[in-house]
Amino acid sequence: MNEQPRPLYWTFLGIVGIVISIYVLFPVFWLFLASFKTQAELAQLPISFWPETPTLEAYTALFSPTHQKGQLLDWPQLIGNSFFVAISSTVLVLFFGTLAGYAFARLNFPGRDLILGGLLISRMFQGAALLLPTYRLMSMLGLQDSLVGLVLLYSAFGLPFATWIIASSLREIPKELEESAMIDGASRLQSMVMVVLPLATPALITASMWHFVGAWSEFAFASILLESNANKTVTIGLASFVELFTLEFQYVGAAATIVALPIMLVFFFGQRYFTRGLLAGAVKG
Amino acid sequence: MGSVALRNIRKSYGPVEVLHGIDLDIQDGEFTVLVGPSGCGKSTLLRSIAGLETITGGDICIDETVINSLAPKERNIAMVFQNYALYPHMSVAKNMGFSLRLAKESPSEINRKVNAAAEILDLTNLLDRYPRQLSGGQRQRVAMGRAIVRDPKVFLFDEPLSNLDAKLRVQMRSEIKELHQRLKTTTVYVTHDQIEAMTMADRIVVMRGGQVEQIGTPLELYDRPASVFVAGFIGSPSMNFIAATARDDGLLLDTDESLGKTPVALANGRGVIAGFRPEDIRLSDTGVSAKVALIEPTGAETQLVLRTGENSIVMTTRDRISLSPGDPVHFSISEGKLHCFDAESERALSGAV
Repeated sequence: MNEQPRPLYWTFLGIVGIVISIYVLFPVFWLFLASFKTQAELAQLPISFWPETPTLEAYTALFSPTHQKGQLLDWPQLIGNSFFVAISSTVLVLFFGTLAGYAFARLNFPGRDLILGGLLISRMFQGAALLLPTYRLMSMLGLQDSLVGLVLLYSAFGLPFATWIIASSLREIPKELEESAMIDGASRLQSMVMVVLPLATPALITASMWHFVGAWSEFAFASILLESNANKTVTIGLASFVELFTLEFQYVGAAATIVALPIMLVFFFGQRYFTRGLLAGAVKG
Repeated sequence: MGSVALRNIRKSYGPVEVLHGIDLDIQDGEFTVLVGPSGCGKSTLLRSIAGLETITGGDICIDETVINSLAPKERNIAMVFQNYALYPHMSVAKNMGFSLRLAKESPSEINRKVNAAAEILDLTNLLDRYPRQLSGGQRQRVAMGRAIVRDPKVFLFDEPLSNLDAKLRVQMRSEIKELHQRLKTTTVYVTHDQIEAMTMADRIVVMRGGQVEQIGTPLELYDRPASVFVAGFIGSPSMNFIAATARDDGLLLDTDESLGKTPVALANGRGVIAGFRPEDIRLSDTGVSAKVALIEPTGAETQLVLRTGENSIVMTTRDRISLSPGDPVHFSISEGKLHCFDAESERALSGAV
């Protein structure tokens, strides 16, 4: 690894990276551009790249209560629902994940490492396999078509990985810091809150970001559990644009842009913690 | 100010007992050093006093009060850790004031105490820095500062100097000792370094395999070691040991040469381990014959390795030596400096004075 930098190699890697980025991001960018076009422009041939007469009509339409054409959904409501579900479940996951992660990192109990490993393995199961049993379970509990039910479900799915990330990072905080705090007069809870958690901030932020993004963009469970329009989330709203005979891309584009915004903001503000938090887990699992 | 008393302290991890009944009395204001090789239980004992380990048996008392079941924070002790354990996200001032903040003292009071401690330790200019911006020696001082702002009954030090380089270690050694002379707070200090123990301690507790081997002032341990282990552990270069047999006319080696008079009356023919320190050996015209194997001048003194039969003997002398390796010499041991240990138990049979 201590060789001289090889400019050709790195240039090549850079070009590959750029090509992959374009390949992945172009459709997203295309949809973003489409949100500023009119229905007529989208239908015309040859296809135009940049909007000829840029318009915000699609955006205003999404938020105007009078517009019902092709969709019966109230977008401010959808966005509100999604925020409610994503934020509440993130708070739950962070709270319980921190307590559980601390226990895994600091307490000695039989089977600890096995369970911690099991948490990670549970990530390997496809959620789709659980759709049916989950639906039945939620109906039995009377939690279908309920946002609170969705919050609990997302929290349950998100908790193992969050616990794992937090536990891995807490393990790297020297035990002496806590011992020192306890000698200084702190209770276990105080030493955790005043000494350990501030040092685990990257992991806490990473776990929150991970979960928030996952909960915000989850589609499968939301689509089978939520029935009434008042309870639906943004991902279902996006899917509802696809209808049998019409596909109005300017609305899809506008909605998709709005839905992507929170995720972009989360990454923009959290990215410097994100890699650090993940790496802390990666080095020592 | 506080005295510490340990009564028959036992500690087990599962079926493994690591402390086998430790008894120790530490006077108010005393500087006691626990010393021994790694794994001897000295750190475990210290952590038990701190309340970071629960003991399996016995009583720990501070000022005559049994504190076995008290949490660390209720014991009125302060501890300095080997890796300092400074809170990385707090400035030096915050680090030092943390315990006071937890005790809900007023900000002005915290400020006053932190500044007073910073003054003592010469940290006043560093109060706004963070631990990562400090050198090893400065971090060490902050850790001590954090301990002294609390004015505890007992200071506990767990190998506080082992992360420092040799030169800084010597300097911090004197700083800690000066601090103790100034504050007169009862101190328990753990180290594996016998020089640290000798230079700093009022009293040394030598530990081995979870037991106290000997307790005494540095010079008591040096002059009257109770066992081969203590004799070999205290002093550098360490004491020479050689198998010998007690006879009426002295301690004889395999070669029938005499090391000198037996320090105590011993049965004729009893096999013992003879011990003598490198600086108590004199080159002479008579005495045990040996060959010079190695000459190591260190300036102030010269260290010689002599070979007699199978045995290597280390001696030091302040004289300038004009010998070369291979030269035949004779040596004898200064009057009264010969130690005698039982060949089986390795306990001292006599105290040389």
